[in-house]
Amino acid sequence: MAYKVEGIIKYYGDLKVLDKVTIDFEPNKTTCILGPSGCGKTTLLNIIAGLIPMDLGQIVGFDDERISYVFQEDRLIKWKNVKENLEFVLKGNVDKNQIEIIIDKYLKLVSLEEYKYYYPKDLSGGMKQRVSILRAFLYPSSVLLMDEPFKSLDVKSKSLVIEFFKELRSVENKTCILVTHNIEEALELGDKIVILTQKPTRVRKVVDKNIMAARELIESYFKMMP
Amino acid sequence: MKIYSLKGRKLVIISKIIIIIFWIIVSRIVDNEVIFPTIKSTISSLIDIIRGPYFFNVIRYSLIRTLVGFTISLILAILIGVLASVFKVILYIMLPIVNFLSSVPTMAIIILALIWLDNEVVPLFVGFIMVFPILYESVLKGIENVDKNIIEMAELYKVDRIHVIKDIYIPNILYSLNSVFSSTLGLNLKMVIAGEALSQPNYGIGSSLQLEKTYLNTPAVFAWIIIILLISKFLEGLLNRLDNILHINRWKG
Repeated sequence: MAYKVEGIIKYYGDLKVLDKVTIDFEPNKTTCILGPSGCGKTTLLNIIAGLIPMDLGQIVGFDDERISYVFQEDRLIKWKNVKENLEFVLKGNVDKNQIEIIIDKYLKLVSLEEYKYYYPKDLSGGMKQRVSILRAFLYPSSVLLMDEPFKSLDVKSKSLVIEFFKELRSVENKTCILVTHNIEEALELGDKIVILTQKPTRVRKVVDKNIMAARELIESYFKMMP
Repeated sequence: MKIYSLKGRKLVIISKIIIIIFWIIVSRIVDNEVIFPTIKSTISSLIDIIRGPYFFNVIRYSLIRTLVGFTISLILAILIGVLASVFKVILYIMLPIVNFLSSVPTMAIIILALIWLDNEVVPLFVGFIMVFPILYESVLKGIENVDKNIIEMAELYKVDRIHVIKDIYIPNILYSLNSVFSSTLGLNLKMVIAGEALSQPNYGIGSSLQLEKTYLNTPAVFAWIIIILLISKFLEGLLNRLDNILHINRWKG
């Protein structure tokens, strides 16, 4: 299955936000969309998710897919504990008898079993975001959209949550699209990095995984030399 | 409901003692059982009332009126509140009605109720017109305060509408109602008793109060007030139990 957005144009009133944005997303890889603040990254993501309409363009592959979403905020339901929060997105989307099994399997996988019955108010910010990421991964989707999911975390919990994301990504195949304005995050997580311009937003440059790998190779060579 | 610090609790006890001392002093100065009864005569009246043949019927009828009236108000408030937030037509139809109920003096409506309605129904109705607008408003507020981000999340994850209503809207409504529950139930009790005093149904705390007043039996009036206070306490305790059943305190940070 190929995922693609082609020639997307979006206006907010008279303001042109997206100007013919075309991106190919490689299946089961992570594409990072990197751009300055307020360049319309979230708008692009919302168009892909089908939350808002576009003015012109084409979206290929996303229409009939289930989509997981990780937001800037955790968006957990505060009167539900971890288990019930996870259950909420599975209800009606997977077989009823499987729900508890799936939740237990994933909680075990990421060693969060002891938090199963915790309410959000008893969890730290980083822990809540982990639950929100877990929710996105155990939902039966093939696409995962992430809108600056590490932005509101402090430095220490940020690196932990990023490790948590990488761990889940390695066991669960999903086509990830990560929107960020943080270069380090894009370099660390992206198989492919799409760099956007300021408004009206176009694609400035696409950095491929191979180039990244080559750069890493060269860098490591330089480090080895005295 | 409220948890007082140790110091606060001491002050509450001191305040109660002061009230009792005040009562003793005033009744000594006044020295007239009809105008201001002593503690002793109040207590003996209290015992007489409790031993009387109709005591349990009186309490039962008033309690039933309060609880039935409250349940009706609650169900209607939830039903109409939900409908009003879905259909704007209903919201606009309800607007002048609720405004009317909350701005016209209650006494005027009670008088009309006395003319139009059966004696047994008046106390219920009086409670309803006081309590319904408050409950209705808080249902509306509960729906309005639902976190739009959570709804968006549910939509993206293609969660069924039924689950969204059951797991997000209803808890929000209950949470919003919970904050006015004990005050409105107390208010309802007071209004039912006031309605009984005016409409004089066969059994009722209000009817008994009115009867004792006619006989100038002030110690019995005082005794009934004490009984009403105890019933209020009982209802409050009942609501605390409900709180625990709904688990609201567990997630409220």
